[in-house]
Amino acid sequence: MTLARRDLIKAQAAAIAAAAAGIPLAAEAQPVAGGRAALEIKWSKAPCRFCGTGCGVMVGVKDDHVVATHGDTQAEVNRGLNCVKGYFLSKIMYGADRLTTPLLRKRNGVYAKDGAFEPVSWDEAFDVMAAQVKRILKEKGPTGIGMFGSGQWTIWEGYAATKLMRAGFRSNNLDPNARHCMASAAFAFMRSFGMDEPMGCYDDFEQADAFVLWGSNMAEMHPILWTRITDRRLSTPDCKVAVLSTFTNRSSDLADIPIVFKPGTDLAILNYIANHIITTGRVNKDFVREHTLFLKAQTDIGYGLRPDDPREKRAAGAKDPAATTPTDFDSYAAFVADYTLEKVAALSGVEASQLHALAELYADPKRKVVSLWTMGFNQHVRGVWANQLCYNLHLLTGKISEPGNGPFSLTGQPSACGTAREVGTFAHRLPADMLVANPAHRKHTEELWGLPEGFLNPVPGYHAVQQDRMLKDGKLNFLWVQVNNNLQAAPNSANETWRGYRNPDNFIVVSDAYPTVTAKAADLILPSAMWVEKEGAYGNAERRTAFWHQLVTPPGEARSDVWQVVEFSKRFTTDEVWPVETLAAHPQYRGKTLFQVLFRNGSVDRFPLTDIESGYACDDSQRFGFYLQKGLFEEYAAFGRGHGHDLAPFDTYHQVRGLRWPVVDGKETRWRYREGLDPYVKPGQGIRFYGRPDGRAVILTAPYEPPAESPDAEYGFWLVTGRVLEHWHSGSMTMRVPELYRAFPGARVFMNPLDARRLGINQGAEVEVISRRGLIRSRIEIRGRNRMPPGVVFVPWFDASQLINQVTLDATDPISKQTDFKKCAVKIVPVVA
Amino acid sequence: MHPLLLAALVLCVTTPLHAQVLSDTPRLSGNTPPTEAVKAVPVPPMVTNDVRQMRNYPEQPPVIPHAIEGYQLTLNTNRCLSCHARQFTTGSGAPMISVTHFMDRDGQVLTDVTPRRYFCTACHVPQADAPPLVPNTFRDSLSSGGR
Amino acid sequence: MRGLWSFARCVWGIIRRPATGLSLGFLTLGGFAAGVVFWGGFNTALEYANTETFCVSCHEMRDNVYPELAQTVHFSNRSGVRATCADCHVPHDWTYKIARKMQASKEVWGALFGTIDTREKFLGKRRELAGHEWARLKANDSLECRNCHSAVAMDLTKQAPRAATLHSRYLLTGERTCIDCHKGIAHQLPDMTGVPPGWSDEQAVLKP
Repeated sequence: MTLARRDLIKAQAAAIAAAAAGIPLAAEAQPVAGGRAALEIKWSKAPCRFCGTGCGVMVGVKDDHVVATHGDTQAEVNRGLNCVKGYFLSKIMYGADRLTTPLLRKRNGVYAKDGAFEPVSWDEAFDVMAAQVKRILKEKGPTGIGMFGSGQWTIWEGYAATKLMRAGFRSNNLDPNARHCMASAAFAFMRSFGMDEPMGCYDDFEQADAFVLWGSNMAEMHPILWTRITDRRLSTPDCKVAVLSTFTNRSSDLADIPIVFKPGTDLAILNYIANHIITTGRVNKDFVREHTLFLKAQTDIGYGLRPDDPREKRAAGAKDPAATTPTDFDSYAAFVADYTLEKVAALSGVEASQLHALAELYADPKRKVVSLWTMGFNQHVRGVWANQLCYNLHLLTGKISEPGNGPFSLTGQPSACGTAREVGTFAHRLPADMLVANPAHRKHTEELWGLPEGFLNPVPGYHAVQQDRMLKDGKLNFLWVQVNNNLQAAPNSANETWRGYRNPDNFIVVSDAYPTVTAKAADLILPSAMWVEKEGAYGNAERRTAFWHQLVTPPGEARSDVWQVVEFSKRFTTDEVWPVETLAAHPQYRGKTLFQVLFRNGSVDRFPLTDIESGYACDDSQRFGFYLQKGLFEEYAAFGRGHGHDLAPFDTYHQVRGLRWPVVDGKETRWRYREGLDPYVKPGQGIRFYGRPDGRAVILTAPYEPPAESPDAEYGFWLVTGRVLEHWHSGSMTMRVPELYRAFPGARVFMNPLDARRLGINQGAEVEVISRRGLIRSRIEIRGRNRMPPGVVFVPWFDASQLINQVTLDATDPISKQTDFKKCAVKIVPVVA
Repeated sequence: MHPLLLAALVLCVTTPLHAQVLSDTPRLSGNTPPTEAVKAVPVPPMVTNDVRQMRNYPEQPPVIPHAIEGYQLTLNTNRCLSCHARQFTTGSGAPMISVTHFMDRDGQVLTDVTPRRYFCTACHVPQADAPPLVPNTFRDSLSSGGR
Repeated sequence: MRGLWSFARCVWGIIRRPATGLSLGFLTLGGFAAGVVFWGGFNTALEYANTETFCVSCHEMRDNVYPELAQTVHFSNRSGVRATCADCHVPHDWTYKIARKMQASKEVWGALFGTIDTREKFLGKRRELAGHEWARLKANDSLECRNCHSAVAMDLTKQAPRAATLHSRYLLTGERTCIDCHKGIAHQLPDMTGVPPGWSDEQAVLKP
């Protein structure tokens, strides 16, 4: 790529020289109008904008416009392939309704909650916004303001935001929409291994003999990883694929063992497999003795609903859902002995022979097995348990941390790992797996951020669902939403999110590239630059950090989110927002803007503009006069270097197709926790789960517990929500690409044809999907990619005109606070025309 | 480009900003108010006229101009390849899959389609007969050179 | 054994002995009436055995092939004409129907002894079972398809261009029959390795 660019520059230089020298170019005789130069496209690398797979793409630019994209053949992840969304990346920035100027709700020339949107300057936008923040900080203190970000933030956007919120405003009310997506996985990793993110990587896909999908429809949601598994399955004798889901989907089409189970019973299936491994004598005893310990989970932990919900009041263990008590192998074995094949087959509705075949994949010591999961496990009222019970299987058999063997948590968003988790934009986290509630972690962070000791707020902030509840209740009065469409994504949105946003006490700011439902529900809309309109970095599901350059100019006055955050910090002085006592004790901070304290701090601003790679623009840095992205990245990287999260130097990432951390001595790490593969495991240690002080991983004892809401006589169907291949999340980008819109033009209700026949509903007929929370109108689909079992319906959530999350239940995993979008009860009623 | 579409595009680009933004396209930015449940528009029919569509750029996977409803694409069978595989194109009259599809992960060219490209619908999609929700101002690389 | 033999002889004796106390009218009319009842009953039973309800009363059908049919165009379509199990799998012609029904007694055997009573067993036998149906339809020139889809009644202008082209080339010329190309239209297909598509040259040399 570098060479191609140099050639191009040379060619351009030659053309300029020729023109300057007055050498005539044979314009008329040329078969190509304008000569070869007119055909040139400048190609640069970037990670894909969409999912957590992190495919490399080549982006072709001509005249400051993206004119083509294709799969990067040099990218390890995808080796030249993209899914249909990736192939149409070139169109995502060009929807004609891009937001190009800030818009403020006004009446009679001033801000009014019930006003209509009017264009304003950035100055006016920030003035109004800053005045609101100052007012609320004065009235309510740091807990009155909040920010809702995303796993689609670039690394430095998330880092700048976490710094502004925690170190500027002393508020931990910062959460990413990754809470809806990956929180259960992140909590489970921390609970089982003491360190977040997978031990293995995508290279496992070329080495495993069996793949087990636990609630992940990879064929649609991670299509390029699916190409690697398909490749392995079709070209290797005796490679097996098992797909567990609550309905038959495209992934089932590759399955040797396609399993459709009753919602929520995956917990029982996991415990049955553990029981099978134990009773058939296939426990790897040495591994279990040397490298694991046994803990028993607190049970009856409730459903993360509002505290006055009867289900919460009834739950005996809801007070401390994360609690565990020590136990041992024998007690564990006795516990899982209850999960017999017959009992679990009856509970889950799965044929015993299928369950047995599945269990054998794990139990057979000769078979290398990779478990994969996404939202089926994570969006689950017992999501943390589900993740951990799956780790149990790999730990019991020792099938972990080696090529072809391991549990692999796939991520949804392009930087759910890189930004939400590694940077620590969760309400309870700090960078590099550190915790807000841990005094030592806060102290370390204060040192690196140059803050007075004891300055950081020790109380974790409001998580995603809690933010919406607090907005509605008037306890949280300012919310800044960036890179996400929460009114479309949040559960029970008509009762919680919408009312919270429109609560007259609240001021809601939404930064977005397009007018989404969330933007339209805000009081101030800020126009954002997107993807290659700014310099960025994402971290994918296999710990791979990938960078891209700014390749085109954003439209109008659209600005990157990092510019918005950093520029906004100039509006505040320490005297206005910091505690008087802190300033009295540390007068050197007096009279400074937050920009000076947080970003013009001698660390973030230490790299000059000349460090920007020649041939590339960086509008953000030009505006601040220093290489902002590099400064933020290098300051952030200091948190992880030497602590198992080592990142390579900034400039390296612009040259390579991403690297998997820890990057030690210039080498990436593909498998963690195993000697010879992971530089953090010392010679002679063999395997060491060094995230925990004892170096052992946790085997968790946890039972099957039922979902928060199950179908009954009145609401007879399970509702499952999710995505489709052609649309990314809420569809704000993909619905504006004509080809992608036409490929799946609107949401519909996938339903079992015999259920439809029983209810007298035609294919394509209009229906109401009604729950106790709300309803939408949609159309029935009895065919197609999702083949529903009786009693289960699936509705994708990308369609803004059918906000299915008005119907969903805001139940969460009580430990991770991640919403269960896969299980609630609805009825389907035909609309009489 | 469809003339109506072009007109809409020109309108969008030339009208003042405050008139441009927040246009009401429920599928994109919700109903008004977004919590309102309004009539769900019928699912439009798919294009099945067998007319090949021009690609936006050479690297774009061609869209499918025919019905694929009920086509099985499983471990057992691949309906797409039964027409588009090299050996069947004479009988079926379908275009042959691109030569890139014979290349494996390591860039080796195989005798038949590489297993990693087995699930065609990951990249190739049929199209509904429906106008775009909003114009897209993407420019063809051939047209952009001339300005 | 001996007892059984003497019982049979006794019954035979009664049948061959002329009736003494019954009129000829009673015997012929009664016999006719009995025949009607028997024949009606037989036909009703036969008809019932042709209904979807009967077919899906076995879980092998209900859980495997029926849900697949329900997601196809033969279950739900523009004009609402629905084909059900017997429309494709049981010949309309009486002789063939009876022959098919007799074959079906093997299926009763299979149901009793659980030949395909699990999903795995069913999938294991699927290629063989499908093969039987393909062979039958190939042999009778896709008769059950043609009961509804008459080749000569097709309006080529109403078909997609490629469908019209292929039908003109293969179907209207009699070169191929429906099942050659239209396998798996109502059910999931088994492993199709070695089963060439209808429009391929290999298909031409395949004999029923």
